[in-house]
Amino acid sequence: MSEVPQSETPLLRMRGITKRFPGVVALQGVSLSLKAGEVLALMGENGAGKSTLMKILGGVQPPDEGEITIDGKPVVLGGVKDSKAQGIALIHQELMLAPNLDITSNIFLGNEGAKGGLFGPLNRPKMNARAAELIARVGLRMPVTTLVSRLTAGQMQMVEIAKALLTKARIIIMDEPTSSLASAESEQLFKIIRQLKADGIGIIYISHRMQEVMDLSDRITILRDGRYVGDLSRADATHDKVVAMMVGRELSNEYFPEKRERTTNEPMLEVEGLVVPGAPDRASFTARKGEILGFAGLIGAGRTELMEAIFGVTPALSGSMKLDGQPYTPTEPRKAIDAGVYLAPEDRKRHGLVLPMTVAQNTSLPNIGSYAAFGWLDRKTEQTVAEDGVKRLRTKTPTIKQAVVNLSGGNQQKVVLAKWLAMAPKVLILDEPTRGIDVGAKAEIYRHMANLADQGITILMVSSDMEETIGMSDRVVVMHERRVKGVLERHELTQLAIAGLMTGKPEAAGESNVAAS
Amino acid sequence: MLVALALMCLALWISNSDFLGAANLATTSRNISMLGILSIGIAFVIITGGIDLSIGSVVGLTGVLIARMSSTQSGGLGYPLWVGISVALLAAVSVGLLQGLLITRLKLQPFIVTLGFMLAIRGVSQTIVDGSVISMGDSPLLDLSNGGLLKVGRDALIGWPTVIFLTVAAVGAYVLHYTVLGRYIYALGGNREAARYSGIAVDRVELLTYVISAGVAGIAGICYASYIGQMNQKVGEAYELYAIAAAVLGGCSLRGGEGTIFGILIGASIMRVIDNGINTFQFPYTDPEGIARIWRVNTNWNNIIVGAVILIAVILDQVVHMVQAARRLREAGTSKQVAGPPNKGSTPPEAAKSPAA
Repeated sequence: MSEVPQSETPLLRMRGITKRFPGVVALQGVSLSLKAGEVLALMGENGAGKSTLMKILGGVQPPDEGEITIDGKPVVLGGVKDSKAQGIALIHQELMLAPNLDITSNIFLGNEGAKGGLFGPLNRPKMNARAAELIARVGLRMPVTTLVSRLTAGQMQMVEIAKALLTKARIIIMDEPTSSLASAESEQLFKIIRQLKADGIGIIYISHRMQEVMDLSDRITILRDGRYVGDLSRADATHDKVVAMMVGRELSNEYFPEKRERTTNEPMLEVEGLVVPGAPDRASFTARKGEILGFAGLIGAGRTELMEAIFGVTPALSGSMKLDGQPYTPTEPRKAIDAGVYLAPEDRKRHGLVLPMTVAQNTSLPNIGSYAAFGWLDRKTEQTVAEDGVKRLRTKTPTIKQAVVNLSGGNQQKVVLAKWLAMAPKVLILDEPTRGIDVGAKAEIYRHMANLADQGITILMVSSDMEETIGMSDRVVVMHERRVKGVLERHELTQLAIAGLMTGKPEAAGESNVAAS
Repeated sequence: MLVALALMCLALWISNSDFLGAANLATTSRNISMLGILSIGIAFVIITGGIDLSIGSVVGLTGVLIARMSSTQSGGLGYPLWVGISVALLAAVSVGLLQGLLITRLKLQPFIVTLGFMLAIRGVSQTIVDGSVISMGDSPLLDLSNGGLLKVGRDALIGWPTVIFLTVAAVGAYVLHYTVLGRYIYALGGNREAARYSGIAVDRVELLTYVISAGVAGIAGICYASYIGQMNQKVGEAYELYAIAAAVLGGCSLRGGEGTIFGILIGASIMRVIDNGINTFQFPYTDPEGIARIWRVNTNWNNIIVGAVILIAVILDQVVHMVQAARRLREAGTSKQVAGPPNKGSTPPEAAKSPAA
């Protein structure tokens, strides 16, 4: 670990930053420093606290404890305005541009500099001239009156950087800037970053792409579970070292049910050369009868998209699937449901539940048509089914007539599960089954999952929680940048093996030999 | 709302006992009924989170078509009444089907599609009557609005429009509250995505609601035609807005997912009782000179009062919602205890488990 030389006052220093949210401590005493003209890479797994730390810098959320100094002077970042005034610019992963306005308007948005406030006249010629200067600096050559909606993702990013330059930003934070860029555009971005660096701007670069980080950064700061783990200088950093620091935690096994030998090798869902919209490669894998097949990967690795293709929400463009030996082509959720493939989506509130409706109504929703005679609702059956679900999963709700919006996250998830369990699933897809659920309810959901697998139901579990992935899965499919990188057998399930594949370690694909050399 | 309606009726009755007189009762219930039919139709669309602005024009089109087809007066073609009614209803349903297809297949916004139809159909009606009036003469259709059950003198206490209204309400309540389709309609309005993920053919359900809305508007159109008797292109203008207002007063949210048929019954009643009340309300007083006078509501205030009532209703509703949401948030905040960090004590990276295999 290298220390920042004390002789030089760092441009930015954060010390002892702590941030608590109800139920979790997102950051615990995290420190970070950045020199002028330095590129600092910030790395960590999903949920390590990178985004929270950057939100604090951007003035979006105030820290609960800790000190921030810029040029050695303590500052308070109480809002986005403060942060901007201190010369900090945050470039979000999803770009924050108005597509209906032109380049100039976007660069100056919120910063028009017109005298007279809201009713001040815009000085278009002057703004255009200045905007042209700025985009030239980031290597974008096109008329500044071009609508942003006409730009590619890479060009939009340049506009964002130009916007940062307008406010004379000295610290630019980039959150996964290459995640939506083509490789040529990434190259262009790296050129700009090197130039900004030469101009003395400090850059905090958040990325999961190890190669980029190795190429670009002067130093790497690693976070894990909201804590500062350490710094590596470029000279010291290797892929294996960084991964080891990112995942180096002890697994606690206490609330995972014991794993039994339950896979029969009999295939249940065979996916062959599936082309998911937006994915660069065909995806293939086989899920066996009665197994829990984990899907590991970073956020945006394409796991949810793959699951939505299997469930027919966004049908695959080509490729084939077999379910229990039969050809299976889900073109819409109804087909998947009729075939016995059910999805409990990642975003429960948006895709899984009709919040104002009751527990009973949500439970019966996909199946109510089948026990209604001539379209007449059979409330008695509905009630029995819902009560069974509540009993079976031990959902905590005063009555089945309670609107699900009033239930806790864990109990809402149980309602989603109950709705599918009432219908004898063959394959149950659980996308982030325990996100936002407290520890006790988690353990219960895990137990139910194990029971279902024991009954021969195949579970596809997408999880961004490493402990959960290792603790629950019989085998794990690892995805990276929308590709299936490899399938790990049960004896290969280690944090290092998974994290290595997840971050795109090149030589490891699909092989068991992922040990650090 | 029910309480508000009851209080309003009570106040009106106290101020003017004619409010409950047979003549006024018949008029008011007829007005409530015709608006109510329209509101029930549009409620199907509103509950899915959509909007249908063309129903007023559909009312006009229905009336004009019936007059054109069946009237024996100048401008009419003199076909039997049932032909006129069938053609008119078919036209209404077709309008709904067309709108629904545009909205579900081309993913156009309901507001724009139905706005377009509102204007276009109005023009079609104008073309049919050629800018003038077609009288229904003494067509048997006119008995529809005047006749009914429980005759008291010349006035039927329960007019046919009321019977039709109650029938439509009963069927509407059955469909909305007791059938699978109804359940899907609420699910669509509550969370369209979750409905889709549950395997519901959301497009088909949405299409059906537009057909229902236009079809029911056609039924309302028949009642209006029988009541008005002289059909011109203006019949039904702005009725869609009153129907929407009645639905909202009755508890429908334009965001979708909320509303009941019973609520709409009340909503439509409130709208029409206010209208009626403005005419019947009176307040006797003695002026400074000691002369007994009667104060009446200035009829110019009609729209001001109706508008104010709608605004007050939605403001109250929203305030209640906000208070409830705030309370939920507070309860969630107190029930969740702050847990420790997921992992205590950071192990040095060197101590990470060595890879297996």
